[in-house]
Amino acid sequence: MMGVTPYVILSAILLVLGLAIVISKRNAIVMLIGVEFILNAAALNLVAFSRHGIGGLSGQTAALFVIVIAAAEAVVALAIFLNFYHRIATVDIDRGDQLKG
Amino acid sequence: MLEKLIFILFALPAVVAGLAILLSTNIVRMAFWLITMLIAVAGLYFLMGAYFLGVIQILVYVGGVAVLLVFGVMLTSRQLAPKLRPGPSEALWLGAVSVVLLAGLVLSIVHAGWQQKPIGAADSPADIGHSLLGDFLGPFELASVLLLVALLGAAYLARPKVPVSRASPLARECPEGVKEATS
Repeated sequence: MMGVTPYVILSAILLVLGLAIVISKRNAIVMLIGVEFILNAAALNLVAFSRHGIGGLSGQTAALFVIVIAAAEAVVALAIFLNFYHRIATVDIDRGDQLKG
Repeated sequence: MLEKLIFILFALPAVVAGLAILLSTNIVRMAFWLITMLIAVAGLYFLMGAYFLGVIQILVYVGGVAVLLVFGVMLTSRQLAPKLRPGPSEALWLGAVSVVLLAGLVLSIVHAGWQQKPIGAADSPADIGHSLLGDFLGPFELASVLLLVALLGAAYLARPKVPVSRASPLARECPEGVKEATS
């Protein structure tokens, strides 16, 4: 029987991959994909501890909230990026420096 | 043994998807790899017996968020690929930081020695419903407010600020369907 460890290691790998994507890509939408990786890593962790650890059902409920918040975040972020694109004609985040003093 | 095999069957595509997104420069393919990762994670939920969460993952993520991202890609990418590949020195730093972080995490995970219980019967959606309306009632209500705020905020933010007829040359280049959808 497998314990919780393989799941947590996979979750760590997904977290690092998502972080690398967020850091290395300059396209805002691809950064959003990286954020989805990070959120999924967190949710996977919660479910693994809920099922294999001694956490009980709370982990799964918390993972549900992670999914809800990820959906809301994706919607608002995409709306902001569309606005950004209408103004600057690109989603290159290095060009978003108009708020700079 | 079979459990291990199925775990590898789902874990491998998730990791491969992440690496493919890191190395690719085609945004539509990245969206496809994101969907691969989401389905693989849903499969892991099924493997762990969290059936309800697996279904929700596929419904909300693959059916909603991923499609939304594909729409975002299609509405914005034209002259794109603005530096989707980091420079050599950046890539070196990125690789070094990632490897150190991963090594630290894996080392601490392996030596953690968590208390574990044998996996029990699958949790039914009814249990999760009782948990949502019992211990998590406050967050549940807050989540509903959050969804309403996100809905209104996104609808307001995505609206064009100027009438389409007097819009900048930039907006006039939009394909006809986009104009109609946003006006």
